[in-house]
Amino acid sequence: MPRLLDFKLTIETGDRGTEGPVLFSINNHQVPLENLMGGTGPGETLEGGFSVNSFAHSLTLIGPEAGEWGIKSIKVDYNCENTEPYSVTFGEVTLNDRTEVNIWQDPPLPTFDV
Amino acid sequence: MLKKLSKWFNGGSKAEPSKLSSETRTEKAVETRQEKAARIAEDIRNREAKEAPSPQQTPPASMMPPREEMTPPQEEPRQPVRRTIIQAPIVAQKKEETPDDGTIRIKAEPSKEGDSCKFMVNRSLFPGHSWYFPSFESAGGSPLAERMFSLDEVENLLIHESTATVTRKTKGHADWKPMATEIGKVIREILEAGQGVVDKKIEEDMPPAESIREEIQKVIDEEVNPGVAGHGGRITLRQVEGNTVTIEMGGGCQGCSAADLTLKQGIHNAFRKSVPFVGAIYDETDHAAGQNPYFS
Repeated sequence: MPRLLDFKLTIETGDRGTEGPVLFSINNHQVPLENLMGGTGPGETLEGGFSVNSFAHSLTLIGPEAGEWGIKSIKVDYNCENTEPYSVTFGEVTLNDRTEVNIWQDPPLPTFDV
Repeated sequence: MLKKLSKWFNGGSKAEPSKLSSETRTEKAVETRQEKAARIAEDIRNREAKEAPSPQQTPPASMMPPREEMTPPQEEPRQPVRRTIIQAPIVAQKKEETPDDGTIRIKAEPSKEGDSCKFMVNRSLFPGHSWYFPSFESAGGSPLAERMFSLDEVENLLIHESTATVTRKTKGHADWKPMATEIGKVIREILEAGQGVVDKKIEEDMPPAESIREEIQKVIDEEVNPGVAGHGGRITLRQVEGNTVTIEMGGGCQGCSAADLTLKQGIHNAFRKSVPFVGAIYDETDHAAGQNPYFS
């Protein structure tokens, strides 16, 4: 597992939006996203990120404290130490006050041409 | 009790006067007894009135909670809500794409454990299906597999759509590059020669996916799950695509350090023995997530 230097989230909200701060959890520590742009209303897109500089044993996006948040897609751009930057897009998911969604994906395995 | 006492008292008062006079008892003695009975009746009445519960009344000492429970309730610190981690489907993973100029391109991807290597080819090897070659003997009639097993280090081969995964005899993280180069050369030669990858007979005899699904489900229900249930485990069939099977390991199997061993030596063997046409078998379990992974 490489050291996660920083990551950027692009969250596209579906029909059900949410209000309030958007938190993520790194190794079970809840932290608000930084450098936010956009919103989490229906059909809106939110961008934000965080400089982690640590090993991500777990990385999740926390559901809202009240109501449901219907997410259409979550694109994560990872910047890890000694690894080429890579991105993963997760599909539809609905979050609430009892759920969080995994947004960590190991870097792709190295390949070579033969 | 009060009724009994007053009955005794009233009955006594009717019969007593005539008897008392003849039994030489004094009028005063009779009065004292009546007074005593009246006092007892009054005492009982008072006690019953005291013991009768009333909304404002303090409960008797025997009903009081222990002293420590009488302290005013303190506000408990709010515990964080335990959330369930869910997994959203991965819809896109950035890959380097090269234009198809007619050249056969092969990329080698050694596994994390280092004992196998996946070869991704920009050509279809076995469209819509997968096939597992456990040994040289199983390769008969399949040109690519026959050539692969001619290489000393090849232990087994799995072909699935446009990928070929080779497991080598030497375990661990030895450099794959020399062997991968040789394997890449074999794949390229077979494809350029237009030879079939998998025996035509296998393709012709292949049963429909629904039939494979039913047979696999039967093996899970009758053989696999009763076996893993002893360890609190549970296997669920997630998908059958062609002859490719995807399962999920739940309960005590999720996150268990022996899950890989159970999968490869137990489940794979059970599936292949009972359903000979099964191809690739994948485990879709996220062993670190869920409500009750083994290590939590």
